Amino acid sequence: MTRAARGSEAAIVGVGATPYYFRGQSHPQTVYELIGKAILAALADAGLKLDDVDGFTFFAAGFDPGTITEQLGIRRVTFSHIVSGFGGGMAGVLDLASMGIETQRAKTILCIGAAQQVGRRYGQALANFGATPDNIFHRIAGLHGPGQALALSARRHMHLYGTRREAFGEVVMASRVAASTRETAIRRKLLTLDEYMASPMLADPLCRLDFCLETDGALAFVVTSAERAADLPQRPVYIAGTSQVGTRDWGRAFFWLNQSDEAFTTAGAGAVAQRLYEMTGLGPKDIDVALLYDHFSPLVIMQLEDYGFCKRGEGGAFVESGAIRLGGSLPINPHGGHLSEGYVVGMTHVREAVEQLRGTAVNQIKNARTALVTGGPAPIPMTGAILRNER
Amino acid sequence: MSARSVVPDLSALEVPWDVWSEPFWQATAERKLLMPRCTDCGTFRWPAGPFCPECQSQKVSWVPPGQGHIYSFTVLPIQSDDKDAAPRHRVPVLVEFDQAKGVRLVSALIDAPLDGIAIGDAVGVDWIAAANATVPVFRLATPP
Repeated sequence: MTRAARGSEAAIVGVGATPYYFRGQSHPQTVYELIGKAILAALADAGLKLDDVDGFTFFAAGFDPGTITEQLGIRRVTFSHIVSGFGGGMAGVLDLASMGIETQRAKTILCIGAAQQVGRRYGQALANFGATPDNIFHRIAGLHGPGQALALSARRHMHLYGTRREAFGEVVMASRVAASTRETAIRRKLLTLDEYMASPMLADPLCRLDFCLETDGALAFVVTSAERAADLPQRPVYIAGTSQVGTRDWGRAFFWLNQSDEAFTTAGAGAVAQRLYEMTGLGPKDIDVALLYDHFSPLVIMQLEDYGFCKRGEGGAFVESGAIRLGGSLPINPHGGHLSEGYVVGMTHVREAVEQLRGTAVNQIKNARTALVTGGPAPIPMTGAILRNER
Repeated sequence: MSARSVVPDLSALEVPWDVWSEPFWQATAERKLLMPRCTDCGTFRWPAGPFCPECQSQKVSWVPPGQGHIYSFTVLPIQSDDKDAAPRHRVPVLVEFDQAKGVRLVSALIDAPLDGIAIGDAVGVDWIAAANATVPVFRLATPP
């Protein structure tokens, strides 16, 4: 059933963000202070007040809605839900918000994402958990971070399909071109292929530049009904479709490394894409700009294949053709993405999608009408969303 | 001669296990590598858990998995405070087995030439002592 057949679409009507800080530099603000600032900015952007808020959605990132409610003095919420996935569940916050609006559980829902790395690092995320009978093997191997574990998938993708380091480099270089004009971006200096190739190997075949930034920051989005959005100051960005999918052959992803042979060299998003396209009646050709979860550059190539922008195994050649640059056939991450702008677990990608569809982006894609936002490869559910500026 | 991957020091590692994974560590204590296979339908599962993901049976048999091969691997530099020290690397490896289809073991490839490792290479098991267990690691089957 398409979204149109199910009635009203929810819309994003406000965006708020803190500055993006290099890891640890948001101190002495707490993560809740960052979240509070993002919420207030988002409400101001939407022309709404704190007392209008009656819902929250998050993904599994460790925030306590009670603390936010206490600190800001939010009066009453009737909807507060968390997508169980980590970064893979990121786009699912928009799914939950749509659900809350469409079922009239709430009228004004805040979607919140934040990261703060004071005294801990996402790059060592696997070591942050206590030892268990299941994860002890990663410790024996010395796999402490997602990038180290995903290097195994990247190497096998190279082995099966002939994917080259030049393709990984192109993903990084394209993100740097985009970030160079964006003041919020942390890595803005243009990069040559020689500089990329000289970057030290951190998890062969991944070099330092294939790893995204580790950033502190918070973002919040205000979601309400399309009808109400028509009376608010910003151009509404409609949530055309969202999907959350978990499959047996993906499971805990790189925490497991026993994905099916077919799934191992993917970003785990094939089933998400299929469902998203079915729900919206849209396909890869209808996407004007793609905000792909780029925590590690090879995963962008795998997502291009998962979402059908090219055939399986051809993602390397696709990016090396120049297709993903500004002005290419499928511009990716015109904000610079996680690789060059900042990493707030995917939420910066939602912000860029909204700015593109409002027509206010720094690197505006001309006549952008539809945007794809994806969660990253992580334990299920994997999620994605398609946003659009026309109903 | 090319640099070789390290043999990790696991002497302080405390291996946790539960009722389903305990037979794995009982076998490694005798330097035997066994993997769990569903007694009813023959499907291997990993990690060891309470149910067969194919038929949900709880009956399990522990069997030798056969010859191991490299499914994938990475090479990680080991951080050192001593800038003059020679660089050292560990090699996490994902091993698949010809008699245990569908499961892979995450482990370390030890004492392997860093420029002489390839997907598909045959590997053999070796053993390292942890604080409370004997840990299976792997070596290239035909050392260059």
